[in-house]
Amino acid sequence: MKVRDTLSYSFSAIRLRKLRSGLTTLGIVIGIAAIVALLSFTQGFQVSITNQLEEGFATNTLIVVPGNLFQIPGQTTNNDFTLYVNDTNAIRTVDGVVIATPVMSNYGTVQSGDRSLDLTIRGINYTEYSAIYSSTFVAELGDISSNPTNTSVVIGHSIYDPWNNGTLFAEVGDTLTISHTIRDNGATHQNTINVTVVGVLGEIGGTSIGGGPSDTGVYLTIDTATSLFESSEISSVVVQLVSDDSTVIDNASSDIEALFDGDVTAISSTSVLAIVDTLLGTVGLLLGGIAAISLLVAGIGIMNIMIVSLMERTREIGILKALGAKNRSVLGIFLSEALLIGILGGAIGIAAGMLIANIISGAMGGGFGLMGSGGFGGSSSGFLGTITPVLTPSLLFWAMFYGVFVSVLFGLYPAWRASKLDPVEALRKE
Amino acid sequence: MTTVLDVSDLKKTYQMGSVPVHALRGVSFQVEAGEFVSVLGPSGSGKSTLLNMIGALDRPTSGTISIKGTEVSTLNDNRLADLRQRVGFVFQFFNLISRLDAIGNVELPLAIAGVPSQERRNKAEEMLVKVGLGDRMHHKPSELSGGERQRVAVARALVTDPSFLLMDEPTGNLDSTTAAEIMNLVEVVNRELGMTVIVVTHDHDVGQRAKRSIHLLDGQIASDEVIK
Repeated sequence: MKVRDTLSYSFSAIRLRKLRSGLTTLGIVIGIAAIVALLSFTQGFQVSITNQLEEGFATNTLIVVPGNLFQIPGQTTNNDFTLYVNDTNAIRTVDGVVIATPVMSNYGTVQSGDRSLDLTIRGINYTEYSAIYSSTFVAELGDISSNPTNTSVVIGHSIYDPWNNGTLFAEVGDTLTISHTIRDNGATHQNTINVTVVGVLGEIGGTSIGGGPSDTGVYLTIDTATSLFESSEISSVVVQLVSDDSTVIDNASSDIEALFDGDVTAISSTSVLAIVDTLLGTVGLLLGGIAAISLLVAGIGIMNIMIVSLMERTREIGILKALGAKNRSVLGIFLSEALLIGILGGAIGIAAGMLIANIISGAMGGGFGLMGSGGFGGSSSGFLGTITPVLTPSLLFWAMFYGVFVSVLFGLYPAWRASKLDPVEALRKE
Repeated sequence: MTTVLDVSDLKKTYQMGSVPVHALRGVSFQVEAGEFVSVLGPSGSGKSTLLNMIGALDRPTSGTISIKGTEVSTLNDNRLADLRQRVGFVFQFFNLISRLDAIGNVELPLAIAGVPSQERRNKAEEMLVKVGLGDRMHHKPSELSGGERQRVAVARALVTDPSFLLMDEPTGNLDSTTAAEIMNLVEVVNRELGMTVIVVTHDHDVGQRAKRSIHLLDGQIASDEVIK
């Protein structure tokens, strides 16, 4: 029997029992749709995170933070370890380091007129910081002086125009009152300083993953921040290396970590990307696995239905055999029924999956956007707002492949049983 | 004359639990091309068993059976299936595929044999016209009367140009008028197309139509006589 005739014969059988075939196909549709939606969404998430990282985190840059981020269970580390401004000097001596600059950060309240915002205040070295972040730490308004006074402050674009409607919070030349509450053995007291806005950064978008400049940043000089916070403790040291060569990155990272007996971690964008990749890879695997289980259930459904159908069609199989159909022709007829269900389910499933992924993406984008505008700035690029599901040809191929594979796999046994039916017995069946 | 069917000392034993049932106990006969043979006998005489063997649906326990020179008993499943394409089966319960229309049913054995679609369509149409169903080609079996269904079955059996037409109680499910019409058709097929016909039946009226009558009793041939 020719392939085309086999397929058309099988198709007529599928079409005859529309509801049953539809429900059987639905199982595959759900499985494939779940796989496509979850994986395309995970991939979109990965792309989004990678883009944000690459935007805010130059490849020749290391961020040195206190503590061992990638702690191996059982390994003892000094959790109380703190980095101070002076530690930056030691890092500058490491081979391959071009610039090492401290970043201090702590909470504070920024007041302008009768409006106030609770924010993270950072203390930085303007010259070094703008050398490292030469594309983002750039004044759109005003000027970032290489020799700033102690009363200078540089603000991010969202502080300048928090509501995105022209109602400005602070302009260049305005005086901001920044206060920070110190807690010391139960007693609290508040430090307050007045600073003048010297520069407003251009809109950056995204987040400050990696310690880079952000739209919601408030940047004091290190000295001013030290006196405001009454401490020279820093949150990180940003290091620029001579190149983004992996040997340079690895050597500098390990040298810096060795310098502090492993109590600091030097993070590079490549290492973060690797971690993100691994993490999302695992998430993708997990989600894909869950979806695969639903596909497995669909496969069992196909097997079940085909066995029932086989029993109903025993006589038909007997007729086919009496008319000269070989065992393999009967096998082919039943397998192609499974195949057609797989192809149909796969195609509809892919379409449904794409639709679902886009709906989720739309809903999440809207949700995060709303959170952003309620919280701060209403910037169009909320953290997760920009996830676009990524549908690679290989994802589509594998989705289709698994749909067909599962259908045919679970169709094998019923088809084999059909092909082995004894024609005399089969014809006797009512 | 060409021998289309040569049955020699055919035996078939079934195992019913632990009891062996001797359905055929050494049956021998030959059918020449163009003959019209009826195989008669009461239930349990071994008619169906013999029919299955002649139709290459089953293999004998011992003895030989050859269809146009091809020995059935030694063939594997695939070769046996091929051989069935040379037997034109007509069953008591029509055994049409209900979801296919008349022409689809007639085309089916040709599709199984791998005949190209245009060619088989032409052959099927031609055959349906011959059995008098030229205007009912696109009706499903459920839209046809019993007699019409059996005509479709006859067309389906003849379309492959088989070695012989093998009919199993072809009128068992039809009223006497329709049965007579079908048997008229079979006579025409035998006479005008020169088609060899073997009818297995317990209906003596049907048996009377044949030119030769083989009586089976308890798995053996009780008589084998030429009537006309």
